[in-house]
Amino acid sequence: MHFFSQSFSYEHPWAHVVVGMWHKYPNPKCTHVVSIDVVDRTIDPTTGIIRTERILGCKQKAPTWIVKLFGGSEDAFVREISFVDPVRQTASITSVNLSLSQFATCLERIQYTPAPGNRTSFTQTAEIQARMALWRSAADGLERWLVQRFEQNAHLGKLGFMDVLRALEERQAAPGAV
Amino acid sequence: MADSLAPVCTSLKQEYDSCFNVWFEGYLEPLATTATEAQRTSHYQRKAEEFQAKCGKVYAEYQNCLQSAVKQRGIEPLLQQAREEHPLREAHPPADSPPNSK
Repeated sequence: MHFFSQSFSYEHPWAHVVVGMWHKYPNPKCTHVVSIDVVDRTIDPTTGIIRTERILGCKQKAPTWIVKLFGGSEDAFVREISFVDPVRQTASITSVNLSLSQFATCLERIQYTPAPGNRTSFTQTAEIQARMALWRSAADGLERWLVQRFEQNAHLGKLGFMDVLRALEERQAAPGAV
Repeated sequence: MADSLAPVCTSLKQEYDSCFNVWFEGYLEPLATTATEAQRTSHYQRKAEEFQAKCGKVYAEYQNCLQSAVKQRGIEPLLQQAREEHPLREAHPPADSPPNSK
């Protein structure tokens, strides 16, 4: 498991930053995010907390060898859950990759809270964890690929050898052959 | 506004987003510090009902459109698995303490 974390503050009030959350994309600096969909949204009438579940569509950033070896597509999807708490004035966002999640998961957590001087503090942590299944799947994928290669080669080997045998036969049948 | 993952749903999606954004304006303005618990609850209850009344219809149409795309693109089983693994029904605790190493 690997960790990543950073924190800083935006020079904007908290409410402004949280409104901005819904306007972040499309963004010329983050062109890898190509689509955003809300798949669930609830408003808790008692606390006022808005929970939103979204799916972000991203251009695949996986190394091409992974895509080639294990399949997958050009698109990668990320699930994002956000909680906006208007009373406690916090916004927290958790994101996890859906695509290639059988190999590794990246769980990102972000929090926006008001900071002195009409600023907003931002903290971000990420846990990146390869699954044990990675090795099994990698081995499976590799094995499947090797089996296919082997079958292909075996097929070509058979065809090649048949040619040799046929040529030999023709030569032997020809008059004057040794 | 960002597109939907399904191009056919983009216009419904953007209509819904606009509806949400208009409703969300002013949502974060703090209530009077004198507001009682009951006043606060009735305020958010009213806001939730208002959202449903204003955006509920377009949301339903948008979801109807999106569901089939989510199935077609093979996202549904991945989403289902992710929801089981991390239900995330409640906000994660404040991130001021370093994560426990496992």
